[in-house]
Amino acid sequence: MASADKPINTDVPEKDVFTLHFLQSLSNLRRQNTFNSPEKTNDRVKKIKKAAYVSMARAAGGTNRLWSRALLRRAAKENSKVVRFPRRKKRVTCLRRRRSNRRDPVEEEEAERLRNLVPGGGGMETSKLMEETAHYIKCLSMQVKVMQCLVDGLAPK
Amino acid sequence: MDVSEKDELRNGDDTTVNYDESANNPPPDWRVSGSNPVSDSYPTENLMMETLWYDPANVQAVGYGGFNGGGNASSSSSFRGNIDRSLEMGWSLPNLLPPKGGNGMFLPNAGSFLPPSMAQFPADSGFIERAARFSLFSGGSFSDMMNQQQPLGNPESVGLFLQGQCPSSEVNVVGVAHNDASAGMKETNVRSSEQGNKQNVSEDTQSSGGNDQKGGETSSKGFDSKKRKRNKQNAEADQSQRSQQSEEEPDNNGGGDKKRNDEQSPNSQGNKTNSGKQQGKQASDPKDGYIHVRARRGQATNSHSLAERVRREKISERMKFLQDLVPGCNKVTGKAVMLDEIINYVQSLQRQVEFLSMKLATVNPQMDFSLEGLLAKDALQLRAGTSSATPFPPNMPMVYPPLPHGFMQQTLSSMGRNVSSPLSPPINGGYKRQEANGWEGDLQNVIQINYGAGDAPHDSQAAAATEASLPSSNMKVEP
Repeated sequence: MASADKPINTDVPEKDVFTLHFLQSLSNLRRQNTFNSPEKTNDRVKKIKKAAYVSMARAAGGTNRLWSRALLRRAAKENSKVVRFPRRKKRVTCLRRRRSNRRDPVEEEEAERLRNLVPGGGGMETSKLMEETAHYIKCLSMQVKVMQCLVDGLAPK
Repeated sequence: MDVSEKDELRNGDDTTVNYDESANNPPPDWRVSGSNPVSDSYPTENLMMETLWYDPANVQAVGYGGFNGGGNASSSSSFRGNIDRSLEMGWSLPNLLPPKGGNGMFLPNAGSFLPPSMAQFPADSGFIERAARFSLFSGGSFSDMMNQQQPLGNPESVGLFLQGQCPSSEVNVVGVAHNDASAGMKETNVRSSEQGNKQNVSEDTQSSGGNDQKGGETSSKGFDSKKRKRNKQNAEADQSQRSQQSEEEPDNNGGGDKKRNDEQSPNSQGNKTNSGKQQGKQASDPKDGYIHVRARRGQATNSHSLAERVRREKISERMKFLQDLVPGCNKVTGKAVMLDEIINYVQSLQRQVEFLSMKLATVNPQMDFSLEGLLAKDALQLRAGTSSATPFPPNMPMVYPPLPHGFMQQTLSSMGRNVSSPLSPPINGGYKRQEANGWEGDLQNVIQINYGAGDAPHDSQAAAATEASLPSSNMKVEP
């Protein structure tokens, strides 16, 4: 275990990147199922939600983050698409260390809940999980802002 | 006199505790208790008396500790003159590092350890000498050990050992402390002095030398092999107990540990405490058995405990980072509550996304997310001020007549960079329509709608943020 403390890097791209990706995915959605009937709101909602998450994952750095990878992989699975990620060698060591390091009864239950929330959190040790959570929170809040602006922009129309 | 003094010292154990606390206040007073063989009947000076009884040259260190207790006594002032001299004399012997500064001042910690130990140790001058050096050394090293990021269990355990154990175990602690010092501290003097001490106390230092076995830093040569084996067995026993962490052991031992504390020091320290504990038990009458338990608890198998500590530090650092992110977590302390808050926040964010997507779906039932329309509004939010008229990249699928506003141009260009071809058709179709209507008016409306009078991008973003936060707060109330 290295004691070198690299500064935690949770830089999140600006809002325009998120907006871009979101609009992109939305328009993709529209193209895929051109005009859903208004009654099937749930489907639309789900699609929009999925588009939101996927676009967020892509905007937030694509495959650089564990959670974005997991998100994209999950989405691709639903669409039965094959997603390829650049291999990262660090994965092996993380898994190997998982057994020994991820123990602390006080925080483990909380970490368990976090892992369920954050996509891709199952295979991470706690410190890495917290880093991913921080980035995920940032991206989520950015996405929320974008969507809020969108809604507000569209509403008066 | 000796026995009576000892009895008084023992009785004064309670008072020594008080001394410990008060000893910290008047640091210079400790110097006082000097080696003058004063047989006055100062009750507070009984500690000093005991120290005085011993060889002044050797006992200076001991007296030092005792002085901490007795330093508070007002009567000690009479000794000051002599004591300073004798103290310095005494200090030349062990030549222990004065922890800070060149004077013979010891940290009050040393004193805190000494008085009770003094009460319990047999009146052996050689022993006292060792004890003095050891306590002084440990006192000095404790602070440094505390300051540095050494495993905290060690100093405490060492001190505890000091208090409750017999000379052999005490010397073990000396070895332990020395190892600690040598492992991480800058107190190289101690090492040399300890080596000098070790020559005097050959059989006792053997165990500590065995402790150094893995550390290999101090000059623990020619130690008893039996004790060495015992140390190793103890270390192994501990490791087997923590079999979960055992796999870290080879990692730490194999030099993969890049921590500032070398792997050697944790291992050696673990061994030391084990051997010290054992010897404490084996040696004659450990006065306070409970101290052993405490030491054991504070001193986990060091390689594992160190790794655990590093890991915990990592986690706590990240928790702090998260605390800054999650709003309203500044007052909350404690990992569990913080994690609860974080989890709640993440859940609320996810719920917001879901809610907003629902809203989007209802607001725009046709899902006609005409990009140009959306972009027109969003462009304001994004980079309204930056009107860097970036020319359209040649690969941009949509090439439109020059846009009236730079920001629109910029967003389109940025979009163009990332945009894939599917986007072009809708953009083309929608854009022309939009442009024809003079979307400047739309923009103005949108500006007012979204931001009131917001002009600057920061204001817009802030306004957007506030807008987002307001509904978010509402959303939080909702189930």
